[in-house]
Amino acid sequence: MHVLQLAIPPDFPLPIPGNLSLLEFLIVLTFLLHIVFVNLTISLANGAIALEGVGMIKKSKRLDDMARICSFHASVHKSIAVVLGVAPLLIISVIYTQYFYTSTLLIGKAWLSIIILLITSFLLLYLYKFSWEKWENKKGLHFIVGLIASAILLFIPFIFIVNIVSMLYPEKWETANGFFHSIVHYPQIWQRYAHFILASLAAGGFYMYFYFTWKQKKQTLSDVEQTLKIGGVKVTFWITLLQLVFGSLLLMSFRRDVMLLFMGDDLLLTTLLLTSILLTIVLCALLYVAMKKDTPKWFYASIACFVLIVALMGWMRHEVREAYLQPYMDEYPRTFDVQKENVQPIK
Amino acid sequence: MNFPIVEFPWFGNGNIVALIAIIHVLISHGVAIGATAIVVSTEYYAMQTKNAKLDQLAKQMTKWIVIITTTIGAMTGVGIWLSTMVIQPDSIGSLLRIFFWAWVTEWVIFIGEVVLLLIYYYTWEKWKEGRKKQKHLNIGITLSIFSWLTMAIITGILAAKLTPGRWMETLSFWNAFFNPTYLPSLAFRTFLAVTLTISLFTIFVRLFVKDEDVRPQLFRIFSIWGAISLPATFVFGLWYLKSIPEQAAKLIVWSTGLPEQTFNVLNIFAFVLIVVFLAWLVIRPKKLPIVLALAMFVSAIGFIGEFEVVRESVRKPYIIYNYMYVNGITKAKAEAMNREGYLAHSTIAKVKEITDENKLEAGREIYLGQCLACHTIDGWRSKRALANRLDGWSQETIKSFIPNMHNVRPMMPPFVGTEEELEALAAYLYKVVNEQN
Repeated sequence: MHVLQLAIPPDFPLPIPGNLSLLEFLIVLTFLLHIVFVNLTISLANGAIALEGVGMIKKSKRLDDMARICSFHASVHKSIAVVLGVAPLLIISVIYTQYFYTSTLLIGKAWLSIIILLITSFLLLYLYKFSWEKWENKKGLHFIVGLIASAILLFIPFIFIVNIVSMLYPEKWETANGFFHSIVHYPQIWQRYAHFILASLAAGGFYMYFYFTWKQKKQTLSDVEQTLKIGGVKVTFWITLLQLVFGSLLLMSFRRDVMLLFMGDDLLLTTLLLTSILLTIVLCALLYVAMKKDTPKWFYASIACFVLIVALMGWMRHEVREAYLQPYMDEYPRTFDVQKENVQPIK
Repeated sequence: MNFPIVEFPWFGNGNIVALIAIIHVLISHGVAIGATAIVVSTEYYAMQTKNAKLDQLAKQMTKWIVIITTTIGAMTGVGIWLSTMVIQPDSIGSLLRIFFWAWVTEWVIFIGEVVLLLIYYYTWEKWKEGRKKQKHLNIGITLSIFSWLTMAIITGILAAKLTPGRWMETLSFWNAFFNPTYLPSLAFRTFLAVTLTISLFTIFVRLFVKDEDVRPQLFRIFSIWGAISLPATFVFGLWYLKSIPEQAAKLIVWSTGLPEQTFNVLNIFAFVLIVVFLAWLVIRPKKLPIVLALAMFVSAIGFIGEFEVVRESVRKPYIIYNYMYVNGITKAKAEAMNREGYLAHSTIAKVKEITDENKLEAGREIYLGQCLACHTIDGWRSKRALANRLDGWSQETIKSFIPNMHNVRPMMPPFVGTEEELEALAAYLYKVVNEQN
């Protein structure tokens, strides 16, 4: 591959502050923790307005109560999602500086807009949550507040996805022209977005199942809570089945040599992918049982399955990035030992 | 100039970070740190005196702490970082390499802080009586400690940018973290946080707490805290001031953009105002004038704005003292760039060798790389706008000034590059300045 003309900058003269394998492990772990809470925030906020909207049409108090529960959980999880996001952002900045900083600056203004967008969305989410009773007679307004907050939450992933996809394609930087152009300029964007939004819905559904099954162990669930629990299982089941299709679409959108790593060229990566597919099928079977018979019997098995799938996804995601960047790594080395001559001025 | 450049031609690149940072300091110090301490002490006092109304008021304040800190507070905190990545990638990237583990530690504490805050607020009604109330209070005390600890870590990093101390020789993390201004600035910020809370919250308490019994009680608590925090802020502020480098101290008045006399009058006025305000809280808490509370609110915001602008500007011409200039060029690399060319060392520069045809384009690239950090061509801050500063200058004058500007104006970094590059920059600046005027 011809990589000499690319705008990949030299690494900083100050060394990467730690063992690379440890940092790679930490980036996978902390990103997963972060993204699960992001998934929950997005799906529960959108779930809340969907339930409220349908409740308004059907004049159903039950649906409204369900929406309210979702909005409460969304507003708590969004706070956790933000703080958990700091660590993966820290690590990606220090171990992929040359690629990640450039891809960020290529969409600099969109990147900055995240601050205003998230503040707006979060404030509206609080307004949505705290005005539920007060605005009982202004349902339309209440719904619109939630709708704007949720719509913003659906938009922001594009900015992050464009950024982390763009960093994989240094040869396309030259022809990229800002954020909106980048959405169509780089491959994978829509496939990643669809995979991510579906994952959010599945995680949100699973969270409802998890939370209310756990609560059920301490107290009897109300009718609304019971419906949310079973509804959560159903959502997770159907969405997870769909993910088998959308996951495959994402795989097919990768550069051919990267895709083939997961299809026999690399034993480890192929095993990871097959295991994740197998576990997904097992999870669906467990959820199917939970859907048909309301029994906590397979509860822990399904949690274990869910956690393992998420872990495998995070691991594979990291391997995809490594595979994409591999061709550039030798040409544009990272700094592991301090380059003293470039740090301390000659006296 | 190794990363793509994002330009804010009217607002000015540096102002983006400053705006976000000022909002963040107001909230992190005034709401997350100071207000939490005051709320927890209010809960304690209410518990001791069995005062249910005061307890509810503390809960109400906590609700606002939750709303503000988990939205604007958290997002401007992350936002300083998101924006410095865009505006000063070389600087923040280097700081991350030096202070990575400090940031990781801060992150862990930050998670604790947010979780504790959520628990503290959402269990207020659940843990109401006896032992449970004590447990609730303990959560609050732990929360206060956590929120202070996040500041204690970040302050190490911020202080190192001005005074990296022995780090330049040893490159040791510990030398960088425990740098000469660390302790004074931490002490100053600790008490500033409390003073700030009182100044910011009083107007809201005055306007929205209608109960005439409970409001003076809360003001009483404010005044006790104020009696400790105001003198401490002043004393530790002086210590902090004495510990910064002499060259930086000289730039304080300049960095506010005010004439020296106005600067002195304003700051003395603000100090007198806060003394009067606190005295009023102590003597007549029931009759606090709204105007006084409002004046306090406005001057607190003004003071934080001033403090942040000064703290960022007195470092000039550096962004990390003695290591990196404000435009991201390291002192160690400057020599090679003078010899081999600034553009030759810039990954993203399109022009590597200057010809008559590409001279202006080269000049623009040098402008973006070396001047944009502080200047605009024609932005709203006229003192930073080159169309204003270089109005009426000939190309020759611009060219002869640039190599000497750091001697005449010590806050400016030296020009870095070859003779041809200097020529190109002068030609470009002359052209755009005259197009504007």
